[in-house]
Amino acid sequence: MKWAIIHIPEKPQISITEPPSVDVFAAVIEPKLANTLVRRLNKICPLENLTHVKRVRRSSLEGGKIQLSVVLCLSHGEVEQLESIQSDILELVHAYQLSPFIAKVAKYAASSNEEWKEQCKLWPTSYHPPTYNIDGITGFSEEDSQTIFNFMKLALKLTKSGPQLENAAVIVDPSVRQIISSASDQTHSWHSLIDTTSMETGCIKQPAVFTCSQPDANAAAVRDTLLSDGVSDENKRSYTGVSCLYPRKWMEHQQNTGNTCYFHPLRHAALVAVELAAARDKHLFPGSGNMLDCSFQENRLTSSMNSPAKKQKLNLSKDEDDLDLKACSHDSCFETERPYLCTGFDIYLVWEPCAMCAMALVHQRIRRIFFAFPNPNFGALGSVQRLQGERSLNHHYAVFRVLLPEDVFDNVHS
Amino acid sequence: MALCEEENNSDSTLAFMKLAIEQANDALNNLEVPIGCVFVLDGKVISSGRNRTTETRNATRHAEMEAIDELLKNWQDNGLSAMEISGKFFKCDLYVTCEPCIMCASALAILGIRSVFYGCGNDRFGGCGSILSLHSSQGKGFECTGGIMASEAVSLLRRFYEQGNANAPKPHRPLQISK
Repeated sequence: MKWAIIHIPEKPQISITEPPSVDVFAAVIEPKLANTLVRRLNKICPLENLTHVKRVRRSSLEGGKIQLSVVLCLSHGEVEQLESIQSDILELVHAYQLSPFIAKVAKYAASSNEEWKEQCKLWPTSYHPPTYNIDGITGFSEEDSQTIFNFMKLALKLTKSGPQLENAAVIVDPSVRQIISSASDQTHSWHSLIDTTSMETGCIKQPAVFTCSQPDANAAAVRDTLLSDGVSDENKRSYTGVSCLYPRKWMEHQQNTGNTCYFHPLRHAALVAVELAAARDKHLFPGSGNMLDCSFQENRLTSSMNSPAKKQKLNLSKDEDDLDLKACSHDSCFETERPYLCTGFDIYLVWEPCAMCAMALVHQRIRRIFFAFPNPNFGALGSVQRLQGERSLNHHYAVFRVLLPEDVFDNVHS
Repeated sequence: MALCEEENNSDSTLAFMKLAIEQANDALNNLEVPIGCVFVLDGKVISSGRNRTTETRNATRHAEMEAIDELLKNWQDNGLSAMEISGKFFKCDLYVTCEPCIMCASALAILGIRSVFYGCGNDRFGGCGSILSLHSSQGKGFECTGGIMASEAVSLLRRFYEQGNANAPKPHRPLQISK
């Protein structure tokens, strides 16, 4: 197998010519009743999972006459009798002397113009073409593909060589091909405070320090046959350390004597990378954002002046704030260069993230996600859930799987 | 998902939710999204948290995540092992002013807490029934009860969005009382 990139769409591929449909009860109505009826129906029987379906269908009869039909409610199961209709709908049916019939409507909202045209033949639906146009959905140039493979190789390197693998994440600003942050799982190595002053910015960070990693005796365990996909079988590697694959494994964590760090079941690679990206942003643009940040700095200054060293550091950061605020007032375009959270950034993950990580990446406004291996246990980008297709979320990223040559794992670690 | 009428809630449920609302108020006073929470073990509050996304510029710093960090640190400072900590989470209840989002609901399932009591529903991000049901589909799962002091929780969020979220490109957070 060679390197390749596959777009993972918002919903499973469906047949355009035979769109999945559901049965509903509908009825022809008098046009003058349309307003009243639709309002009543929306109240007593909203079409919850069918918001793309138009409540009213307008069709032209012979002689140019217009006929309106309305969706009453879902038809449940095989029962196609009126008795299965809920009572308040039945009341409406009797009050307005409607004659319900069974109609088919498209089950899912259309994702393309062609799909929409086809499903409207069943019953009219609304179609909102994607307002975003994320690079890569329609394919990558040779140069872009190469960049993507290289960043994925970097992520693979962070998975740690040796028997116990971990997930790894690299956040990248694709416009300048710069690494913003990178991390591997830190469920066993949480340093509860990030020291932003010592943080390297804009360059590749070393993989997390594994001062508290599990003893090898524990790591010998489980082979996961589900995950043979893409990883050569001869290697006796264990995936139980990949936190998105085995999120509940943390309970078996054994403490090393004289450990210097905490364990933290939620410090999956993606969350750590997001935290580092946020810390980098504060470090690079300490005074930007809003005035609120300054008041926070003040609060902390007064509340945590325990040690002289700390005091000095905080004072320093306050001075930087002041400088930056001045700089901002002189040059407001400085501020516009700072993206909001991770807007416009990509993340490379070795394994498909779990729901916690995938939602964290929605919150932080990541633009594109590239992962190498699917996560059949808890993957939230197509395997178990599909967050990129949850329309109610306030942000949507594009998701790609990067297929790797079989020997790539051995090569990056050798 | 069970929903409570105000009068059916026990005094202690309301008392804990009031503490969560205090946390949310603290967030509001610091121009953060006003959501707060407390963790309760054996009838005692053992940690609290409130949204801190603006201060940290990290949109994952929700109230729940803040309180969880505090718990994990305290327990380990007291020498508890992973097994013991897991046993504690198993007896922990969370009181939070808004339905946990998909991220937080997954996190709570990973930790294996006993139950969640929340105020208003979250029909954009909710992970306890509104969008996904992670409390019943992932890991161990947990009991979920919504609608506790929901109107107080919503009015805090309204006040926040009326004054404007200086940080967001355009404000949108769910404002809905659980049905």
